[in-house]
Amino acid sequence: MELTEHTAQRLVAAKLYMDTHFHEPISLEGISEQAFFSRFHFHRLFCRVYRKTPHQYLTRKRLNKAQELLQQNLSITEVCTEVGFESTASFSLLFKKETGLPPQSYRQQWMVKKQQAKVQPRTFIPSCFLQNYLERKTSGTE
Amino acid sequence: MITKMSHTTLFVTDQDKAYDFYVNKLGFKVHTDVTMPQGECEGDEEEKAKQVMMRWLTLNAPDQPDLEIIIMSVNSFDGFDEEARKAIRVLLDRGIMGAGVFTTPNCRATYEELKAKGVEFKSEPREQFYGIEAVMLDGCGNWFSVTEPKMH
Repeated sequence: MELTEHTAQRLVAAKLYMDTHFHEPISLEGISEQAFFSRFHFHRLFCRVYRKTPHQYLTRKRLNKAQELLQQNLSITEVCTEVGFESTASFSLLFKKETGLPPQSYRQQWMVKKQQAKVQPRTFIPSCFLQNYLERKTSGTE
Repeated sequence: MITKMSHTTLFVTDQDKAYDFYVNKLGFKVHTDVTMPQGECEGDEEEKAKQVMMRWLTLNAPDQPDLEIIIMSVNSFDGFDEEARKAIRVLLDRGIMGAGVFTTPNCRATYEELKAKGVEFKSEPREQFYGIEAVMLDGCGNWFSVTEPKMH
């Protein structure tokens, strides 16, 4: 779909606003007004360009950030608040729906992977990418 | 029977810079980021000191979780001898490695967004017979077509 440069810039500005303010309450009215679109026009344009509704996009953004924060030392409630969800229950439900795992299990799985990466990094790398290293090791040339 | 590609390698001049470009600017996800530690190497201290540790960094494009893009430093890839390393380095330094095509639902919007984030382009969106295409530089030696395929 061809967009004029000016329309694309306004739409992108609104999307970038969502990218940086996702942890705050964002309404369709507010964001479309800011981009100088009618609510209906903004919604239609956003769906056509990003293949998601603004609400779906915002939820995905929040959940992606939650995945990052779960890799840090924050409680589930803290993560939920940090990314802009009001209820831990709905956050956990949505998180599981999108990632296939509840937040706690996601964190545990990530910790296991992190530990494995630390003690057995070679298990993540196909041997053909370490061929010279492995050959040096077997032939004892080092 | 080969069914699909699971990994592909992208050689870059600088992995940290590439991480910033692909993760922070393009929004790719980190799949694996591990480094072969010094202790994994064999040899005496002098030999160890000569070795460059290999960082295994793989990323997924946002809608493609089953393809890992290996962001490989030309300086630390174990499979190159010095001559090969130098040759690839020359191509990357000249920015002439055409590494592939990324698709986007809207080329103009993607172009405007990435330009706002400071990404450099070799060409702005243009109508082609297969869709609308811009050509983007990754700042690490590669260029990519960013294409909005024509709807048939």
